[in-house]
Amino acid sequence: MRTTLIGNAGMRCLGAMAVLTLASIGFAQTRPPTVAPAAVEGGGAQRSVSEWLMRMHEASRRRAYVGTFVVSAGGTMSSARIWHVCDGEQQMERVESLTGVHRSTFRRNQQVVTFLPESRVVITEKRESLGLFPNLLKAQDSSIAQFYGARAGGHERVAGLEADVVQLQALDSLRFGYRVWTEQKTGLVVKLQTLDNDGRVLEQAAFSELQLDVPVSMAKLAQMMGNTEGYQIETPDLAKTSAAAEGWSLKNEVPGFKPMSCFKRLVGGTADARHESTLQWIFSDGLASVSLFVENFDSRRHGPPGATALGATATLTRRMGDWWLTAVGEVPAQTLLAFAQGLERKK
Amino acid sequence: MREAENNRELLSALADGQLRGAEFAHTVQWLGETDDARLTWHAYHLVGDVLRSGETMASDRDAAFVRRLKLSLQREAVPTLPFSATDSIAAHAENSGAAGLYEPKRGSANQSRFGWQLAAGLASLAVMSIMAWQVGDWRNQGAAAQLAQVPVQPATQQVASGAQTPIMIRDPRLDSLLAAHRQFGGTSALQMPAGFVRNATFEGAAR
Repeated sequence: MRTTLIGNAGMRCLGAMAVLTLASIGFAQTRPPTVAPAAVEGGGAQRSVSEWLMRMHEASRRRAYVGTFVVSAGGTMSSARIWHVCDGEQQMERVESLTGVHRSTFRRNQQVVTFLPESRVVITEKRESLGLFPNLLKAQDSSIAQFYGARAGGHERVAGLEADVVQLQALDSLRFGYRVWTEQKTGLVVKLQTLDNDGRVLEQAAFSELQLDVPVSMAKLAQMMGNTEGYQIETPDLAKTSAAAEGWSLKNEVPGFKPMSCFKRLVGGTADARHESTLQWIFSDGLASVSLFVENFDSRRHGPPGATALGATATLTRRMGDWWLTAVGEVPAQTLLAFAQGLERKK
Repeated sequence: MREAENNRELLSALADGQLRGAEFAHTVQWLGETDDARLTWHAYHLVGDVLRSGETMASDRDAAFVRRLKLSLQREAVPTLPFSATDSIAAHAENSGAAGLYEPKRGSANQSRFGWQLAAGLASLAVMSIMAWQVGDWRNQGAAAQLAQVPVQPATQQVASGAQTPIMIRDPRLDSLLAAHRQFGGTSALQMPAGFVRNATFEGAAR
């Protein structure tokens, strides 16, 4: 008798336990200590915000690793198996979802290919934003140090590895703070928490298991990434544009947030909806990002205005004359409100 | 003797959903014609149920039900055209493709119980996170007052949808916008690599 089904119940049990364990970890966090603005304190780790971030970035460029990554936000928990490899010039990553829809995501630098085996669809896209860093930090007008302070927060063990803890504290209430665990020798980010203004954990992501410097074959990943036989290939309909060209401006800027890019895109939905394009205007303060989606108002699809929050991600929807705005970001609700109030139709 | 063993192996494979084509058709036919096969089939499912749930199942009642059903079916005089059941089943099995070879969606006997435990945990988490959000320190009182004009969707709506599935789908269109936003999560210094991985891990909820 084959007993392949026994594993399912066990997995579900473990899943439920993992959710509850993560939840108790997440919500048992105490308030962080108050932080001196833009200063680094304690230990031998005298690093500025930018130095911490550069160290994290460099770590991922130089290391090969395999691990299991768990994201817990609001009431949901997602996990994935990660393979990462780099040869100095190219970075490749394979992310295999372990929860929700079966999905394999491959990334070679900015090129991202997502396989959805159940629907036999593969989505190929180029994510320009992945190449923006570290320019974000090098830019003269980098606002990261102006709006976040860094404070070394001791050492902890994550996924069996010794890690330095650094607190990136928001200096105003328009953004969330972060607590970041970086592996001591390499600087690789092994755990990341998003904290609200009271220091409560809104979302956390961490490796539950991680093996550093293991042999990962770049050639094999590349072969898997290119093996789209039997799949329908889809490319998101994206056209680069500017907010001004589309007739939009932000009359009141939201402190620290700078426009990064602007696209016209066809976003999912029904066949009707696909004929209409949605404008996506993206802002970032260096650590948090906000998307403003603007589309034609349609009383059949768009209901009353609303605001929701799931983990660190807030959304706000409201009507603006003939237009419908959906603001999404890993920011407090009042930041989205500030964007909504600042957005103005020029044409 | 060996044939009986082979047949039982085939029954086991059928129970696991691993048979296709002619093998599937012959095994189903054998199952329909032989009492011994039906007993074995029933026993395999009982063993599977006990292994999965750790509880004994009432089995006599099921067998009695099948006997009664069979009798009442025989009493019903349904006019049918003569056709080969074996051919028909084989054709359907062939058409069903390989998707069923490994059935990831197949539920276990106690799935609903685990589902509810998970849902309860998720629902309480959702409530806690919403409470945490709502009692947050709104330092900008002006903005808070304006925010009050924006009706916040009731928490129960999110919890209710979360209870049906761990993925909190409020609205497919909003989810597609969330996915579009996450694709640009890289617009952050924290996004390498944890952010990309976070988003790729997270996207499962939206896609």
